[in-house]
Amino acid sequence: MARYGMLIDTTKCIGCFTCRTACQRQNGLLPDQDFIRFEQRESGEYPDVAIENVPLQCMHCEDAPCAQVCPTGAAHMGADGIVEVDEGRCIGCLYCMAACPYQVRVRNAQTGTVDKCRFCTVSAEESGTKMCTCVEACLTGARIFGDLDDPDSELSRAIARTNAAPIAGDLTESKVFYVR
Amino acid sequence: MTFEPIWGLIIASYLFLAGLGGGAFAASAYLRLRSPHCVHLIRYGRIIGPVTVIVGLVLLMFDATAGFHNPLRFVFLLTNFGSVMTWGVVFLGAFVVISLIVMIMDLLGAGLKIPKWLDVAGGVLGICVCVYTGCLLGVARTFPLWNNALLSVLFLVSAVSTGMAAILLIGIFRAPQEFSISGAFKKFHFFLPIFELFLVACLLFITANNAQGAGWTSVMNLVAGDCAAVFWLVFVLAGLVLPTILEWKMLFMSAKEVEESCLGHRISAASDVLVLVGGFTLRVLILAAAMPLTLIQPWM
Repeated sequence: MARYGMLIDTTKCIGCFTCRTACQRQNGLLPDQDFIRFEQRESGEYPDVAIENVPLQCMHCEDAPCAQVCPTGAAHMGADGIVEVDEGRCIGCLYCMAACPYQVRVRNAQTGTVDKCRFCTVSAEESGTKMCTCVEACLTGARIFGDLDDPDSELSRAIARTNAAPIAGDLTESKVFYVR
Repeated sequence: MTFEPIWGLIIASYLFLAGLGGGAFAASAYLRLRSPHCVHLIRYGRIIGPVTVIVGLVLLMFDATAGFHNPLRFVFLLTNFGSVMTWGVVFLGAFVVISLIVMIMDLLGAGLKIPKWLDVAGGVLGICVCVYTGCLLGVARTFPLWNNALLSVLFLVSAVSTGMAAILLIGIFRAPQEFSISGAFKKFHFFLPIFELFLVACLLFITANNAQGAGWTSVMNLVAGDCAAVFWLVFVLAGLVLPTILEWKMLFMSAKEVEESCLGHRISAASDVLVLVGGFTLRVLILAAAMPLTLIQPWM
């Protein structure tokens, strides 16, 4: 069993939204359905200022608040530590959206169900098939996907090398790490 | 990021109606034990309870679009007992069954022959429903305005207050004689908006001092932001202060003849309508003003 996670290097992110567009294509999402939300942080004082692009998405928390509150079990912890949504059980009560501290779950306007990042990159990893995922599409290589339990994985080594950390400290046990 | 509230008017209506129904039935059970001669007021509570809760549940199912289009999915609501919503389904289900039985027995003429334990069980479940509406929001750690124990108590007090107001409002027009002799019930009802005022003040102070900036922003939304006009004018002034002043004048400052006069009844009715408006506004404001941690991000 693997425990999948991701690293996002905001020092490489240019805010081009390619990851978001690729994700929408790969997962067949509606135009207004974004699994990746972009925030910008401004720092410094004029004229010495900087802008950091921060892509936010499902953190696949070990202690997923969405799964805890979901009354139907539609949001649940799946295999390999990936938080999944069983659309066939979702009633669209939006309780998971209220519980998610990162506010990265989105409602499908057509079906009324709630969805979010599926870590679809895992399919590409396991099958070796090239896919149109956020990791594959990123122009600057800001994203690394891999097994957090494998100390030799590219992801684990990158986290150790860059001191990457969850975006909000110990707010939840996030499996997405950020270099900032 | 601009933040749109996750739940809107439909869920606010559901929270209001569920609280009103649970509170009305609990108040009716209290009347049955303390003032059994108020048979009409007791009956109104027994009717308001299940009817408003069922209307609220229909609204809830309508709002849950995916379930509304696939009704069989609602069966899954009883699969995760770690979720407050699942417990809510249990309380709501049990309440609706018992309150409907009591209502039908009452309408068939059983009146005071209905076993007391049925009234008490329905009343306890009604209280559980009221508290549940607060807990539903209270467990969402994302929103500091919701994520505290005070909200459940505030919703409970508001629910009982609106439930009693609904019974009294109907009583004024349909059973004025019983309304006039239900002094203890009216005095109990009088104190609830005052208690609510203190609870709201505590909620705002505690939330504003929450370690997360979202708590402060939520409170500012209410007292000085987009929601301020509705908060001060409709909720605090019209929903809490005015009913308190009107009831105080009627219960403690007016002669009995005035209290029982047509004008007195009109003033009491206006006070009860204002309590209902305040109760609904409270739910709308709590849903609309809450800001998530991710918008006011200490790490951003």
